[in-house]
Amino acid sequence: MTQSPSQPSSPEARTDSPETWVDLYGDALYRFALSRLKNGELAEEIVQETFVAALHAYPNFKGRSALKTWLMGILKHKIIDHLRRKYRETPSDQVEAIADGADELFNEKGGWSVRPAKWSVHPGHVYEQKEFLDIFYQCLAGIPDRLAEAFTLREIDGLDTEELCKEMDISPTNSWTMLYRARMQLRRCLEINWIEGEDKE
Amino acid sequence: MFGLIPDCKEVTRMVSEGMDRDLPRVQRMKMRMHLWMCKYCSRFEKQLALLRKAGQSLATYRTGPDDSPVLPQDARDRIKQALREGAA
Repeated sequence: MTQSPSQPSSPEARTDSPETWVDLYGDALYRFALSRLKNGELAEEIVQETFVAALHAYPNFKGRSALKTWLMGILKHKIIDHLRRKYRETPSDQVEAIADGADELFNEKGGWSVRPAKWSVHPGHVYEQKEFLDIFYQCLAGIPDRLAEAFTLREIDGLDTEELCKEMDISPTNSWTMLYRARMQLRRCLEINWIEGEDKE
Repeated sequence: MFGLIPDCKEVTRMVSEGMDRDLPRVQRMKMRMHLWMCKYCSRFEKQLALLRKAGQSLATYRTGPDDSPVLPQDARDRIKQALREGAA
């Protein structure tokens, strides 16, 4: 049996067939999309977009990361794109407004000028509060891309500093600054869009 | 880097950084001192912990053993179809 050079013959190489990707990674991608989007049909749609985009991008896939990681990366971008489109259409433009506002929170002496409000969320029950998580994602989609990526890798994917820096190709100091800015903006966004909307105090 | 008594802005930075690495001992003590005295920075610290919790809860949801949704078969077929058409 003759093999053309571009058709590897080892069993693992079957991952070269895009249709096999669906069987191998479809569930993982779907679960991830579902956890972010909370909507089965939409998750299916985004997973499909991901596979189709991967098909076209595959010639450029260098194999530096595992195929699954690569697909996950595409999926994450698709989700962020989707959320950004979605929330651009909603009336709440506060997400944008706070995008660069970390400094406005403090006076020139470094004290709070916008004091943190009391949040009535019970930390133990956060994940049961769909509304909270929805707004959380809305906020995550609203902050600058790189900050959202840093936050996601650190707090959702659980990477440590070393792994995060490798993934994003930044220095440790830079990573801490980005995470700080991401947290400041997310915190403020939640305070404006959820806490104040829920329970004025 | 930071003064004798860090101000609120500096403390927020330390609180955040302390979630990503072990702060030097002295810096950590200064931060703790400030947090004891400052109600708003204490709130801030709890709120960052909550952001972390929110992130983790999504990670758990995603891999939870008793809640593991799978890609439905019809969607699977549809996607494969789309890939065949895309490849053609």
